[in-house]
Amino acid sequence: MRFLNALRDGVGFDILLVGAALLFLVALAGAPLVYNVLMSFQQVDMFTLGALFRPFVGFDNYVAVVRQPEFWLVTRNTLIFVFGSMTGQFVLGFALALFFAQNFPGAATIRGLFLVSWVMPGLVVGGIWSLILAGDYGVLNVILRSLGIIQANVFWKSDPAFSIWAVVIANIWLGLAFNMLLLSVGLAAIPRDLYEAAELDGANAFQRFWTITLPMMRPTIGAVLSLGLIGTLQQFDLFPALTEGGPANTSNVAGFWSWQLSFQLYDFAKGATVSVMMFLLVLFASVIYVRSTRHEVRG
Amino acid sequence: MTRTYTPWFLLAVALGLAAIYLFPVYWMYVTSVKSGSEIFSNPPTFWPADPNIGVFGDVWARRAMPTYLWNSVVIAGGVTAITVVLGTGCAYVLARYRNVWIDIGLFCVLMLQVLPASVMVTPLFVGFNQIGLLNYPRTAVVLAAAAKAMPFFVVLVRATFMSVPRELEESALVDGNSRVGAFFSIVLPLARNGILVCAILTFMSAFGEYIYSKSIIQSPVLQPASVGLSGFLGPNSTDWNSIMAYSAIYVTPILAIFVILQRRIVAGLTSGALK
Amino acid sequence: MDRGPRAAREDIMQVTKFGLLAGLALGALVAATPAQAQVTLKVWSIDGVDRPGIADTYSKEFDDANEDIVVEYRGIPFDEIVNETLRAFATGNAPDIVSFDNPDFALFSSRGAMLDITDRVANSEIVGKAQYFDGPLNSVTWDGKLYGLPKYTDTIGLFYNKDLFAKAGITEPPSTWTELADAAAKLTDPANNIYGVTFSARAGEEGTFQFLPIIQMSGGGSNKVNTEGAAAVLDIWKSLIDNGYASRDVLSLGQWDSTGAFNSGNAAMAISGPWEIDRMVEDAKFDWGVALLPTIEEGGQRSSALGGFNWGIMANTQHPDEAFRLLEYFVDQEDRIFADFGNLPARGDIELPVTGVTKKDEALKVFQEQLQYAQPRGPHPEWQKISKAIYDAEQQALTGQMSSMDALNQAQATIDGIYNQ
Repeated sequence: MRFLNALRDGVGFDILLVGAALLFLVALAGAPLVYNVLMSFQQVDMFTLGALFRPFVGFDNYVAVVRQPEFWLVTRNTLIFVFGSMTGQFVLGFALALFFAQNFPGAATIRGLFLVSWVMPGLVVGGIWSLILAGDYGVLNVILRSLGIIQANVFWKSDPAFSIWAVVIANIWLGLAFNMLLLSVGLAAIPRDLYEAAELDGANAFQRFWTITLPMMRPTIGAVLSLGLIGTLQQFDLFPALTEGGPANTSNVAGFWSWQLSFQLYDFAKGATVSVMMFLLVLFASVIYVRSTRHEVRG
Repeated sequence: MTRTYTPWFLLAVALGLAAIYLFPVYWMYVTSVKSGSEIFSNPPTFWPADPNIGVFGDVWARRAMPTYLWNSVVIAGGVTAITVVLGTGCAYVLARYRNVWIDIGLFCVLMLQVLPASVMVTPLFVGFNQIGLLNYPRTAVVLAAAAKAMPFFVVLVRATFMSVPRELEESALVDGNSRVGAFFSIVLPLARNGILVCAILTFMSAFGEYIYSKSIIQSPVLQPASVGLSGFLGPNSTDWNSIMAYSAIYVTPILAIFVILQRRIVAGLTSGALK
Repeated sequence: MDRGPRAAREDIMQVTKFGLLAGLALGALVAATPAQAQVTLKVWSIDGVDRPGIADTYSKEFDDANEDIVVEYRGIPFDEIVNETLRAFATGNAPDIVSFDNPDFALFSSRGAMLDITDRVANSEIVGKAQYFDGPLNSVTWDGKLYGLPKYTDTIGLFYNKDLFAKAGITEPPSTWTELADAAAKLTDPANNIYGVTFSARAGEEGTFQFLPIIQMSGGGSNKVNTEGAAAVLDIWKSLIDNGYASRDVLSLGQWDSTGAFNSGNAAMAISGPWEIDRMVEDAKFDWGVALLPTIEEGGQRSSALGGFNWGIMANTQHPDEAFRLLEYFVDQEDRIFADFGNLPARGDIELPVTGVTKKDEALKVFQEQLQYAQPRGPHPEWQKISKAIYDAEQQALTGQMSSMDALNQAQATIDGIYNQ
């Protein structure tokens, strides 16, 4: 009876709502997380894959991963991939969101078309970009050459200087829809009268962007960046289709490496170890997001 | 340029941008009807020399496409249902207060998203096997994928609830509504648009769910369309025509729905609930 | 393996239960059908996902022909089969019979996950070890015991465009790598987008598949990769790319896509295998032929890659006898695998039927000869790690990040670590 009252009073109701969702997440996402963290401190083989308790090896897996010849290269690539993709997605997404916030015929309809990459399966996007980015028969080189931007073909996927950028380009395309959509939502939530007042005060477009748009968008930007970081770190589909992390690991990133160690080299413990290391980056993203919500304004 | 021309100029720019952005999609359609070796011809052809439209019928017949697509719909529907039911309430509460517990809740929701699906599938498989859920593979996939979709949904819908004026809920409470009553009769209807749109987005990304399905669902009659796609990648061969044709068949209906619904989607999200 | 009376009793109980269920089901459908004890065998392979293949077809035939055995077949995409089996094995859901790519087999056989069938094969009237080529047989053998049987095999050779050869005034396909480089230089025609040669040095098994034969030709092998000869050939390959005689994209193209450039006339030679023939017959609008893979020196040691799949019975099967019967059926039908599915039998006593397509028949003859030189990858339980060391080294050398010898030395250090564990 007291429980029912508490429900009606609200606190119980709130706890019920959050609790149900969190319980679900803990069971289906928390448990696998624990399994992976445990595994990174254990010795694993095909017979113990299904077990939870296995020979404990301390930090051996971590030491072994750091000692792999490709470790620092993968770390560097991960940073390039994450910052390159996120910057590209965010800047282009923001630019498009601002552009489509203008009032012109067909703005809403055409903006809708930009959500296509949201519904394309990653496997397919990887395949398409693999054909587009090919050095000889790739259509991107043909277009760039005819525009006079490049003289000779660029081997996007095979040149160690470009291979990571090939994946970045494809990933920017893939994540553009998500960024533009969320940023559009944030833009639309800014009250019009703020801009009108600023215009009356004689603020130019740049000043209005800097003093109104950006501060008002802080929570949205926080959400976009943190969800974007998580999405980018988890990006997997593009790698097998484009470069498989090659040539010689020059486009290998933590997410793909973790998969490769676990499911291609069957070294499950090391794969888990790399995934736990990625954890740190997401921790960082979550803190950014939670902090950004401090500046939210309630409607 | 005078002011009256500006909108039309913007429209032209918008169309240009859309053409650039949509080029990869165009390339998917064109590649699907090219001959196997024309795909690799140098220089590439922007329009197929001898378009082979038959590839669509061929792929449709070779694969049980209707079954695959139906399973995709079932799985995406299930994921959406669970996400909406559990995620909406969670987002509402996380939007309602401003304290350290809410911070922790938000933090948890994001952190539980940290591992890629490919790494989570082994422990989930082991767990599902323990409780016998592998005998209901589509349900198992729905549960696993819903956990993956949840954080995104919560963050977005939370933003929607933020835009519902607090005063409306409070006045309902003053009028004698219970919290539960106020939630269902005032807050939910006001946030309906945003929730609906996020549900559609969740459905669309769940439609492409691949990693869980391929491991958990063993019977081909229960597999979604994304799993059927990987069958074209053989040990020594990659059937690009079929892959692209299959993708086209698979993506086109979603694209069509999207184009029809997109005004509503964008408007629903961008207009907020009430302003 | 002796499984003891308890397991047998459980078997009988299970079988009875199954028989009852099946009997009930049948009885409901067809009145007065006597209940019969049935055994269910699970078979997993990559076949039948895209089009009918060996395993799915034969499983169904065997299922139809045997009242007492039900065969449940599952097709799994190529990339997934090892992981699916590992996961199933760890959770006790493993199939009875499974088919792996040959270098993956040792992962299972070395750990006792496959059933030792040495004695069963010795006593079988249908299966005999002697029929098979050495390479494939090697890949199913571990520690002197037989843990499986080859399913089919393939290898790689050198495809060449006879029209382009004639135009460049070259009469014979190259027989050494140096000759290949000379020919590639003559055949390259940038104005018409034609490369001299194409191959696959992709970051993956395909890269190793095409490069390991070079190591083997130079006297090395899976456990010894830093040979002078291999470094010399790597230098030749690097010069092919640097001079524009081969596309830089060989570093990211798989064999199928790489040979696509040959078929469209954009490369004059291609290293690939018999699986390309049917597409080539259809797509290539020129005269072409196949030659044996070049050697390091004139008349030098030959080698080639060994591809193809193996069968094995998993050690935890409840029905080893029935599973072996099914395996015997697969072997018994091996004379059909080329005609029906285009796969090459891994044995010398089956004559390939003439297809009537001249180019195809000639190509197959060369590949049949090449198969005698094919050597397995490994076998080693950690083959995939060895493979990564090899293709990483190949790519480091070809992109100029390291000298060929340094790259191979680094790979050797990794491989020593794996072998000396």
